[in-house]
Amino acid sequence: MPKRFLPYMTNLGLLLAAVILSLAIGSVFISPGELWQILHSWLTHSPLPTGLETFSFIISDIRLPRTVLVLLTGAALGGSGTAYQGLFRNPLADPYLIGVASGAGLGAVLAMSIHWPYSFWGLLVVPMSAFLFAMVTVLLVYSVARVGQSVPITNLILSGVAFSAFATALTSYMIISSQGEVRRALGWLMGGASQNSWQAVLAILPYLIIGLGFLLMNGHALNLLQFGDDQAQQMGLPVLRKKTLLLLAASLATAAAVSFSGIIGFIGLIIPHVMRMWWGADYRRLLPLSIIAGGVFLILADILARTMMRPQELPVGIVTALAGAPFFLWVLRRAKNQGYW
Amino acid sequence: MFRKSIVLLISVSLLLAACAPSANPTSVPTATEAPATEAVTSVPTIIEVPAKPIKLTDGLGRSIELPGSAQHIVSLTPATTEILFAIGAGAKVVGRDTFSDYPPEASSVTDIGGSMGKYNTEAIVNLKPDLVIAGGINPPELVASLESLGLKVYFLANPTTMEELYTSIKTVGSLTGDESGADNVVASMDAKAKEVDAKLAAITEKPMVYYELDATPFTAGPGTFIDLLITRAGGTNFGAKMDSAWAQISLEQLLLADPAFIILGDSAYGESPATVSARPGWDALTAVKNKMIFPFDDNLVSRPGPRLVDGLEALARLIHPEAFK
Repeated sequence: MPKRFLPYMTNLGLLLAAVILSLAIGSVFISPGELWQILHSWLTHSPLPTGLETFSFIISDIRLPRTVLVLLTGAALGGSGTAYQGLFRNPLADPYLIGVASGAGLGAVLAMSIHWPYSFWGLLVVPMSAFLFAMVTVLLVYSVARVGQSVPITNLILSGVAFSAFATALTSYMIISSQGEVRRALGWLMGGASQNSWQAVLAILPYLIIGLGFLLMNGHALNLLQFGDDQAQQMGLPVLRKKTLLLLAASLATAAAVSFSGIIGFIGLIIPHVMRMWWGADYRRLLPLSIIAGGVFLILADILARTMMRPQELPVGIVTALAGAPFFLWVLRRAKNQGYW
Repeated sequence: MFRKSIVLLISVSLLLAACAPSANPTSVPTATEAPATEAVTSVPTIIEVPAKPIKLTDGLGRSIELPGSAQHIVSLTPATTEILFAIGAGAKVVGRDTFSDYPPEASSVTDIGGSMGKYNTEAIVNLKPDLVIAGGINPPELVASLESLGLKVYFLANPTTMEELYTSIKTVGSLTGDESGADNVVASMDAKAKEVDAKLAAITEKPMVYYELDATPFTAGPGTFIDLLITRAGGTNFGAKMDSAWAQISLEQLLLADPAFIILGDSAYGESPATVSARPGWDALTAVKNKMIFPFDDNLVSRPGPRLVDGLEALARLIHPEAFK
């Protein structure tokens, strides 16, 4: 096997293992043998052994859609985290740097403060409003930061921080003045997929495909941007347009992921770093690897969230930082190549 | 280059979109849904009840139909659990949320989570309930996601008056086939409430009561059962003039109103007369000087269930001990 496939094979192997674990582990105990029987009957379209109908339903209708949603969310956060770090040439950048999370939080809490009829669209109001507010916030941040034909990084970060502070304050105000919807809002802000259905998966999939697809095709552009805007421009990269599109694509994927899953922190920051330490800083490789690794990491965090306090569940956003920070510090400590950034 | 990447982007997304459906949803659920729903409905009922279909409109305005009264019930809130046990449907409860701690028998029922609004859907499905009863604290997303798993969910909206609570209890009775049990509960609740009313009939003075939900401090405003019960127990709720149901207040306002009683609904979280007296500035309050600070079981007044009348009586005894001599 050529050596350049090693990172991909490693990550895909981890992904497969994480998916199987996620299907196997839950609050209801399903033994590996039973899991195998169920998977086997799915794959071969043979009838299920009797007595396994409920378990099969739990795996197909609860664990599988949840795993897929979590995988996509993690992938979006890992991929856009990498793009943001490349765009901002800043190791502290994460997908929430210019207001996606705070905008989405405001949108979600705003939608929760109104009583919507119980219907197909009524149930979609919260994620739709989160998504719209996230995108509007990013566009506002961008347009404020833009100076003529360039978007200085410092302006972007500062305008992002200011907009985020404003949106977060508004969100807190809405939560305090709301009538008893506090738990729902806090649960959302801490990150936890409340709607674990194929509907959520189908709703975010197009945005992830467009957003992450665009990022994946622009690894080379991100590599060039590492030389600085002027150098990249001289090397023939239409810097402003590229940066704008990359920013939009990454934000689109993040906003879609966040709209259904709530704000899941830390993952978009650490995944790109871990991948960079393990497999090097070439963005053509870093992007796909971070996308897969984000999915793996979030699936594992979700398994912990489901099992740590069984039968209770924790918001996954708590686990990503709680388990992710020590893991990240461990990787950081072991990193042999000090100048990896 | 730009145009080329757009074309590539579109073709890649189309390609992915084309593979996506076959890789996932539609084929898998349909293959398994049928046996699973069969499994849910074919549960052998322990008590043979004549199948009389039930059709009711729930708190979300949905029409809920049951083939017969529910025999395997999952209760998602402490209040609904208390109602179920009170009307005599306790044996039919197969699952309850983490916080359902009353009556004590409820703790032996399977715990299906509920902390931070997160429930264990697969544990619920595994219990094969023929009815899930959700309460006002459950968001509609939860109802939708349980329903999408083929479960029957009845959403019991939060009542805001005693009469609405009585209706809620009777509704639960109709769902489980315990109509007479529910009627008895409502009758004895109403009798107890009226007994308290009678004892307080001669009361003219309505002292100011500060009910503390949380030491930050938060109190209960208008539209809450706490407000309603304090008023009915012959007191004046300090929180009544707030503009939201749950409000954070300042010590300044509390000093200005100078309540005669401080009732600690947060006593389960470590607040006590001693801790309140030790708070800086609070010693200026009349209630603190007169030691009129009482720990209180918040579950009696915060759960819209059958014990609200016990809460009413407990409050009345605190505020007007002279009426109960």
